[in-house]
Amino acid sequence: MSWRNELLAVWAVTLRNALMGARNVFFFFELLFWPIVGVLSIGLMSRFLELTEAQASFVLVGTIALSIVNVCQLEVAYAVLLDVWSKSLKHQFLAPIGIRHLTLGSWVVGMVRSLAVFVLLAALGRWAFGFHVLQPGWVALLTFLLGCFLTAWVVGVAVCALITLFGNRAEAFAWASVNLVLVLAGIYYPISVLPDFIAAIAKAIPLTYFLDAYRSHYGFESEFGAPIATGLALSLLYAALAHWAFLAAIQRARRTGLLLKMSE
Amino acid sequence: MLAIDARDVEKTFRSGWPRRRETRALRGVSLAVERGSIFGLLGPNGAGKTTLLSILATLLTPDRGTITVLGHDVVRDAALLRRRLNMASGRPSFLWSLRVGEIVAFYGRLYGLSGRALRARVDGLIEICELGPYRRVPYSDLSTGLKQRVALAKSLVNDPELLFLDEPTLGLDPDVSVRVRAHIARLRREQGITIVLTTHYMREADELCDEIAFIKDGKILARGTPGELKRQIRLGEVIALRLDPARVPWLAESPGVLRCVEVDGWVECTVDEAEKRLPDILRALHADGVVIRNVQVREPELEEVFVELAK
Ligand SMILES: Nc1ncnc2c1ncn2[C@@H]1O[C@H](COP(=O)(O)OP(=O)(O)OP(=O)(O)O)[C@@H](O)[C@H]1O
Ligand SMILES: [Mg+2]
Repeated sequence: MSWRNELLAVWAVTLRNALMGARNVFFFFELLFWPIVGVLSIGLMSRFLELTEAQASFVLVGTIALSIVNVCQLEVAYAVLLDVWSKSLKHQFLAPIGIRHLTLGSWVVGMVRSLAVFVLLAALGRWAFGFHVLQPGWVALLTFLLGCFLTAWVVGVAVCALITLFGNRAEAFAWASVNLVLVLAGIYYPISVLPDFIAAIAKAIPLTYFLDAYRSHYGFESEFGAPIATGLALSLLYAALAHWAFLAAIQRARRTGLLLKMSE
Repeated sequence: MLAIDARDVEKTFRSGWPRRRETRALRGVSLAVERGSIFGLLGPNGAGKTTLLSILATLLTPDRGTITVLGHDVVRDAALLRRRLNMASGRPSFLWSLRVGEIVAFYGRLYGLSGRALRARVDGLIEICELGPYRRVPYSDLSTGLKQRVALAKSLVNDPELLFLDEPTLGLDPDVSVRVRAHIARLRREQGITIVLTTHYMREADELCDEIAFIKDGKILARGTPGELKRQIRLGEVIALRLDPARVPWLAESPGVLRCVEVDGWVECTVDEAEKRLPDILRALHADGVVIRNVQVREPELEEVFVELAK
């Protein structure tokens, strides 16, 4: 294992996903449509409900975070989905590639794409609703983005693991289950309003902490002691777990023949 | 020296839920492949050929058996082996929007090629596989034969010592098949690559393989050089005749005729060499006053060989 080969394998996946993304119009549609719809509808709703500027910022941060995470995790899931859709999964795993190359390579593309979406949404929020993403400052913003990316990485890898475990028919299920968890993070509300047991789940989600830290700059007092450190620690823990699950799923697929079945 | 030494390989697929279905795909297969040889696996649909190939190529874990590939245990040293072997399938599939050159380059990078070395390798493979004019064509726009050639190019990208080809000429027109076979023969001759291939075409196996194994229901029924096997199974060609009257009892006794059966109004005679026997048979039929309505010559179906083998 040399660093050169490691980077090369990651780069190969990055390039592959980028080329696929650039050439499939529908991927672009997915990229832009829902995020824009999200920000517009939430922004207009906040106007209708006559929310204060701070409250409007609160929910807009939520919907922007959700968009970033969604776009980025979708790209990470493409690490296996592209191969599943094109039935080339067995070629992929015949090559000396590790799952880290797949997930990192597609994560890089995911970050670039969701960064583009973020810039667009930030401009839209500013123009239509006077919402300023840089108000908390660069460091806070970049930390927030990193939090979103990390959460997306975890979610994407988990989706990969589920698809490899249950086969391509489980695609929708994989997304639904993982995204359900995501919505529990305090996207549109502080988690203090949640019933206890759901709040407990929300507290286990890294995004909750990154949202909390970022929103604290918009005048909402932080609900946690060290949100960023907690969010990072949780993200890394889950990333490790998700990768382990993905690896186990691949090994199982080699045993059961699912790897071959998904390639024919 | 052996490239592959497999002993008592077993594999059972368990699928379906809630009702479990078990398929015993391999039931104790043993196999030895010499380095630098071309080994052919023949057998009917569902015999276990692809399963065996996948196990040898590390894509599938065996349930039982010891398998040494290029001197390494195929399960324990799978990661290491993947650098040294490769595989192409007759039903290839790659990412639809990637262009031919990009596909080969993508896999090249996974094997550690970059920069000038990568470019040279991709150029070389594209030339060898006659893909030059299609280099910038997206994969989904290629014809079956071209897709197969892309698969072949991809399978050579890491300069493998051992190459698995699963039905490499499936669905190709005769002209292209001939070229693919010539290419496979050249790979072995010029680069000394050990090749294990599966096929449904007897002629292909005959022409290419140093050794053949017949596999059916997960077991190897016979193995040997093409010559040995032909002697063993009395492989021949089939002359199918539509006659009036439909039955001609003495046909089965004619020189060179191994057996005769009636199928759907056709009389099918298996002969040792059609080219040599056909004129005599037609002449004799004519002399006997039999009207010949139709004549066809073909190779025996694999199934017919198996009928012989299973006896
Ligand atoms: N991934 C899988 N999951 C479940 N069963 C499988 C799987 N792959 C193969 N089988 C079963 O194992 C048996 C052997 O299949 P295999 O694909 O090895 O046959 P084959 O000799 O390659 O046939 P063909 O000539 O049709 O390609 C078949 O009964 C098949 O249904
Ligand atoms: Mg097969």
